[in-house]
Formats: sequence, structure tokens, C-alpha cells
Amino acid sequence: MKQSKRAQIHMSETIAVLFIFFILVLFGSVFYYKYSEISFKQQQEEMFAKRAIDTTTKTLFLPELLCSKGESGAEQFCVDMTKLRSAETVFNNNKGYYFGMFSYANITVQQIYPEVVDGGVDTWIVYNNLKPDTTKIEPTYFIVTLKDETHQSEGKPSYGFGVVKVEVYS
Amino acid sequence: MSSRNKGQMEMAGLVVIVILITLGILFMAQFALKDEPSKKIFTRKELAASTMAALMKTTVVDCTGGPTQFPQIEGDLLDDCAVWGNEYSQYVCDGQPSCSFLHTKIEELLGETLGVWGKKYHFVSEKVSTGMSVFEEKIEGLNGNCEDRERDTSGDFYLPSGDGLVRSVLYVCE
Repeated sequence: MKQSKRAQIHMSETIAVLFIFFILVLFGSVFYYKYSEISFKQQQEEMFAKRAIDTTTKTLFLPELLCSKGESGAEQFCVDMTKLRSAETVFNNNKGYYFGMFSYANITVQQIYPEVVDGGVDTWIVYNNLKPDTTKIEPTYFIVTLKDETHQSEGKPSYGFGVVKVEVYS
Repeated sequence: MSSRNKGQMEMAGLVVIVILITLGILFMAQFALKDEPSKKIFTRKELAASTMAALMKTTVVDCTGGPTQFPQIEGDLLDDCAVWGNEYSQYVCDGQPSCSFLHTKIEELLGETLGVWGKKYHFVSEKVSTGMSVFEEKIEGLNGNCEDRERDTSGDFYLPSGDGLVRSVLYVCE
């Protein structure tokens, strides 16, 4: 009788230990599942952010927009207004080519200075391809100079101050 | 013997619990010490450099008095400001001498862009020989400056003015 009681106590002790052990394992599993889920989401976000960076970099160094100085190198962070004014037509006529480059994105250039007089254009849509079922938009802004060869003084072009806005859709 | 065995088992249980808790803490630490997203760093770094390059190159359309019809912010107006100051400024832009105009215009352009995007920033332009600021007042964002923060810089832009070297730099932070 005494031995059976001792065995019972021993048994309940083992059950309690096993119970606690499984509770800990359960906690661990739940935690790991949550961690994996968050980690996956973060990875997706990182890939999306990388695409935003790639698209922005491609835009900033796009020969179709970049200022050039004859045979010397291109001017960094500079958009040629002459190219920009006809960019929308060029991009629309070659949609397939630019889709391979930018995928679903919206690229606009806005002139901040000099201020545009009433009725004038101060924003140019370079590329626009909206994803129908888009869930997320990641905008990136960059400041550029707007080189205008048509507005010269003493043979030198004028430079405006503008913003390039690149939005990528996922 | 039996009590020694029991003690050993309890010790092993304790070790398992300690290991599980340590693993948990390590997981949490991994979350807490996560680096700033690479996009943010890239954007801020490039933003400071591109903003400064664009700002320095911009030509102003409403100036009179100086040798150039469309003076450039860095090459012409900053030089005029560093050499002549407000009192003897050659250029008059929007009815203001070069230093006052530059202060207003730079503040306005940065405010319309970096300020609207919620960035903190401050712009410094000083004479290298004396370390004195070219402007009488500071140029900084409405959201604050980056003096005591982790910040990104545009890099130094040096102008060999008629009154020695002038160093200009833009700091941008979150």
C-alpha cells in the first residue's frame, strides 16, 4: 500500500515534468513559427526595397534622361530638359522594352525651381505602368538638376532644381 | 544512491530550461538588434549628395547687377556672398543682396523637398581659413537639424572664392 502510494507520487511527478517539458516545446514551436513568418515577410520587404533601389538607380542613370557634355562624361544627378520633354512619347512607343527595365512603376520628374508660370507644365510623367491588383507602393524621391539648353546665358545652359519620384508597385 | 540520481535528473532538467531560455533570449536579441533597412541608408546617403549637387548647380533667374545673367548658386552667388557680404554684394536677386537671397532660397528649396518628406537637415557653408559661417543665420530644417544625430553627409563642396576657400556641406538625417 505504502509502495503503491510512492509509485503514484513518482508517476504524477513524471507527468508534471513531461507536461512542463511539452509546454516549453509548444512555446518554442509557436515562437519559431512566428519568427519564420516575420522573417519571410521581412525578406519579401527587403526584396521589394531592393527593387525600389534598382529602379531608382536605373532612372537616375538612364541615358534617355541624363545630361551629357559632348564627349566628356555624363553629369551626375542631372536631367536634360530637352530629353525629358520628349521622354513620355519615347517611353510610350517602346513600352515592352521599358517594362523589362522598370516592371510596374511610376516615374515622374517635377520642376521645383524656377517656378513655372500659370498654365505651364511643371511635372512630366516619364513612365507609368500601374499594377492592377497592387497591394503596396514604395515611393523614393531624389533631387536632380534640370539642365535646359534652350534657356541659355552667354552660351551656358541654365540649371533648374527638380525632384524625381519613383514609385514601385508590388 | 536514489537521491543522488534524482538530484542529477533535476540538474539536467534545469540545464534544459536554461538552454531553452537562452535560445529565446537569442531570438529576441536578433529581432532587437536588426540593422536599419538598407533602402533607408542608401536613399539618405544618395539624397544628401544629389541634393547638394543639384543645389550648387542651380542657376538663378531673377538677378541683376552681377557679371552673369543667370548666376549659379555656388560658382557666382556664394562667391559673391563670401567676398563682398551683404553690404557690397554685386548681385541683387529678388530685391535682396546675394547672402540674404541665398539664405532664403536655399532654405526654401530644401524646405519644399527634404522638409516636406519629413527629413531633418542642416546646411553649412564656411570659410576654411577662419571657420566662420558665410551666412549670419543657420540653415536648418523645420523638423530639426542633424547636429547630435546619426547623419549622412553630401560630402564637402569646395569653392575657391576670391576670399579663400569656402566649404559647403549638407547633412541629412531621420
